[in-house]
Amino acid sequence: MQQQLIRELVALLGPKGVLSQPEDLMMYEYDGSVETGSPKCIVFPASAREVSEIVRLANRYEIPMVGRGAGTGLSGGAIARNGGIVIEFSRMNRILEIDVENLRAVVQPGVVNLDLTRAVEHLGLYYAPDPSSQKSCTIGGNVAENSGGPHTLAYGVTANHVTGLELVLPDSEIVRIGGKNIETSGYDLGGLFVGSEGTLALVTEITVRLTRKPEAVKTLLAVYDTLDDTTESVVDITVRAITPAACEMLDGFTLRAVEDFVHAGFPKDCAAVLLIEVEGLTEAVEAQTAAITEVCRLHRAREVRVARDERERDLLWKGRKNAFGALGRLSPMYYVQDGVIPRTRLPETLRRIEEIGRHYKLQIGNIFHAGDGNLHPLILFDERDRAQFERVVAAGREIMEHCVSVGGALTGEHGIGMEKNELMPLIFTPDDLALMERVRAAFNRDGRLNPGKVLPLGKGCGEIRIQPMTSTAITPAPTPV
Amino acid sequence: MTGPVQSSWTRLEEIVGGAHIFADSDELTVRQVDGLSPSVVVLPADAAQVAEILRFAAAEKLAVIPRGSGTKLGIGSPPARYDISLDLSRMNRILAYDPKDLTLGVEPGVRIADLLRVLAEQKQFLPLAVPFAERATIGGIVAANSSSPLRHAFGGVRDFCLGMEFVTGEGVAAKSGGRVVKNVTGYDLHKLLIGSLGTLAVITRVNFRTFPLPPAQGTFVATFSDADAAFGFCRAIVHSVLAPQMLEVADPAAAHLLLSGDIWARIAPQTWSVIISAAGQPEVVDRYAHELGPMASKAGAQEFAPLDDAEAHSVFYRICEFPRLILEAAVFAAIFRIGIVPTTMAGLLGEISKIAVQEHFDLVTLTHASGILYAALLPTEGDTPSVAATTKAVLDVFRACGKPEFNSSAMLEWCPAEVKTAAGGVWGPPRQDFAQMQRVKNAFDPTGVLSPGRFAGGI
Repeated sequence: MQQQLIRELVALLGPKGVLSQPEDLMMYEYDGSVETGSPKCIVFPASAREVSEIVRLANRYEIPMVGRGAGTGLSGGAIARNGGIVIEFSRMNRILEIDVENLRAVVQPGVVNLDLTRAVEHLGLYYAPDPSSQKSCTIGGNVAENSGGPHTLAYGVTANHVTGLELVLPDSEIVRIGGKNIETSGYDLGGLFVGSEGTLALVTEITVRLTRKPEAVKTLLAVYDTLDDTTESVVDITVRAITPAACEMLDGFTLRAVEDFVHAGFPKDCAAVLLIEVEGLTEAVEAQTAAITEVCRLHRAREVRVARDERERDLLWKGRKNAFGALGRLSPMYYVQDGVIPRTRLPETLRRIEEIGRHYKLQIGNIFHAGDGNLHPLILFDERDRAQFERVVAAGREIMEHCVSVGGALTGEHGIGMEKNELMPLIFTPDDLALMERVRAAFNRDGRLNPGKVLPLGKGCGEIRIQPMTSTAITPAPTPV
Repeated sequence: MTGPVQSSWTRLEEIVGGAHIFADSDELTVRQVDGLSPSVVVLPADAAQVAEILRFAAAEKLAVIPRGSGTKLGIGSPPARYDISLDLSRMNRILAYDPKDLTLGVEPGVRIADLLRVLAEQKQFLPLAVPFAERATIGGIVAANSSSPLRHAFGGVRDFCLGMEFVTGEGVAAKSGGRVVKNVTGYDLHKLLIGSLGTLAVITRVNFRTFPLPPAQGTFVATFSDADAAFGFCRAIVHSVLAPQMLEVADPAAAHLLLSGDIWARIAPQTWSVIISAAGQPEVVDRYAHELGPMASKAGAQEFAPLDDAEAHSVFYRICEFPRLILEAAVFAAIFRIGIVPTTMAGLLGEISKIAVQEHFDLVTLTHASGILYAALLPTEGDTPSVAATTKAVLDVFRACGKPEFNSSAMLEWCPAEVKTAAGGVWGPPRQDFAQMQRVKNAFDPTGVLSPGRFAGGI
């Protein structure tokens, strides 16, 4: 039967549109996460119609299917957990339209994030969501995961930048929702589909907003001798309602690794740095730079340096965006967390992560989107050491539990995927999850599209392994108004 | 009262207590929707009571319409059935406000005016500058996705709402999103509730991010001889480095309403007005003051002037209250809300204007340059149009908006109930995505307890 399916796929897509040799399939067992899965075949459609035909075949043969962009995801979203067909979008990589007047672009899902910015930068425009993997990740994948990035602090995540979608539903129907206009009457279906991690539909075309480049940009590097001073600065910037475009933190361990790799200019003897960017009109940038410098100094920053030119700015950002890679040089594997906390809880959270690392005897590097409370603790390990790996998983879970206990969330931008789906009951009740399951079934009735993701698998057997945690975050007494 | 409602009385009374249930005709009349009265009014105290009421309604096959202060119940197609008015005005607490974290969690019955006063004490605000501001509640604003001129800079509810708690049509309390500013944990079900007019779930808590109040503001008006020039000026601003917090285009009639407060005055010159407000540090606002004038001249402006604080406040207030002011001036008005792109705004306005002339209606339009156009068809002075005449004009406008070249999507936000019925509802011609909306409805409210008939495609 499988050979028959592959023959039909080849008939549909041509011999170059299908991979089914074991050595080819191996390449698609992984994504950016620590998970794996073995697909039966990889297909490369060139149009929505072909995607729809593939979905029809998958349904006829009753086998699972999963969409895949560049495979840079960090929660296993593009992994064929139950085998089946991987639908790879690299052939659908055209920018279909750039509508300068309306600040919109219409793109196919396989367009690489940074390529869109490159295609419009001569017009003074760019595409705002900027995940660290933007040189390789695709906009289709960004839509599935509702990707963020450092500059989402000021500009929002993918969901804030998508106005229209063409989708192939799991029953093979091709539908369009939204368009170039900022709102379409009716339910906000785009709000549901963006960030649904490829479990409700396959995206075949995306209409996104383009953003005008700011007049002025300043990048500041604040250098600290203690972690507490660093995190207190972030809290104070938020409290004073200063709104930088990005506010990133690298701890000493991480920045030393980065410095050895990228030579970005981070002082290697410090406890942590903040990389802060302010954008906008020249007047606003000047005022914000002064205000931020004052806050950092107040919290005993050893040095606050403003990047002198584009080269120095690029170098600082290169350091930030290559931080994962730099840590990867120190250890055979790393496990990236993606917790979110209320921003005011940063200092205690960092202290807690330190404790957890000590307790489990693990090296944890910290790279945060500090400004919006999105943490990326990165636990280094060697996957050949089974006992160590178990400690890694336990430490990861304790970090997540801490995030939830202070009123946070399991993932800020990497997605739940197959990495954190069993942790969902930490946040959501069985009723919450049952409704999400029902919405999934409304579109993905047979569960054939990207199975085993987002929602816990234990559910349905009357067994929920984790009780929702009650937040210990201080909630002020209700105020009647 | 008929059979099922009689028995519902006792059960509902058990749930909310005798002091919070009404069935006298005055209370029922006040809560009419499109002329249809409920049989009973209940005022739950919390989400648990909402859930019990809805479980009961689902079992008895009763129809429930949630309500805040009732300012926007006129929006939507006429309900197919209506038994219980679920009045959420008792659920009016601020549940969590963390000014240091710039986050907030509130019950649906909190009035936006009260909330803004609490936030202002901390020099913060929510960018919900919505109509019916003194009475409108958070639940109603979210359910109707009320439009705000501040959307230009801050986005709509979907862009700063962090999560919600709600009760589905089956009486199941659920939630999605959370309380942190960045979060992709689970499906964003709460986004579906924004603009759902109470057809999917009853909102019991909404979490928002809040924003710092800017230290300085400035408001400016430029006038133009025609729509093309006015929209041309808007595009010049959008494509400059300036990023105002509000950018509005008022046609001559709307300009009278906004600038003088009198919609029927016909004495000022027939000009199109662009109203801009900028916010930020004083130096930033000064920059707008210096640059906008020359930009306006270049775009062919007849006049350009900054407004003083009192004028600015008054104009901003009237822009926010635009639909209410229209309805107060003309109860028979038909007001469209149209999502559209900048390049086709002037063209679509031209088409709608032709329809108004042909069908003998006055037209008043106010456009948020970010992409929401309000077009109001008013009876000409002293005239009371027939339902048939208004319906004809309404259908013509839907047809114009549906032309693919305009990239627009229209709903008839306000009009007399008779016109809604005659026009086949307020959602315009059927679209392909209605089927997808039905799937969502079936997941949240499979038996059609919540606001049946009010939504697109008869949902």
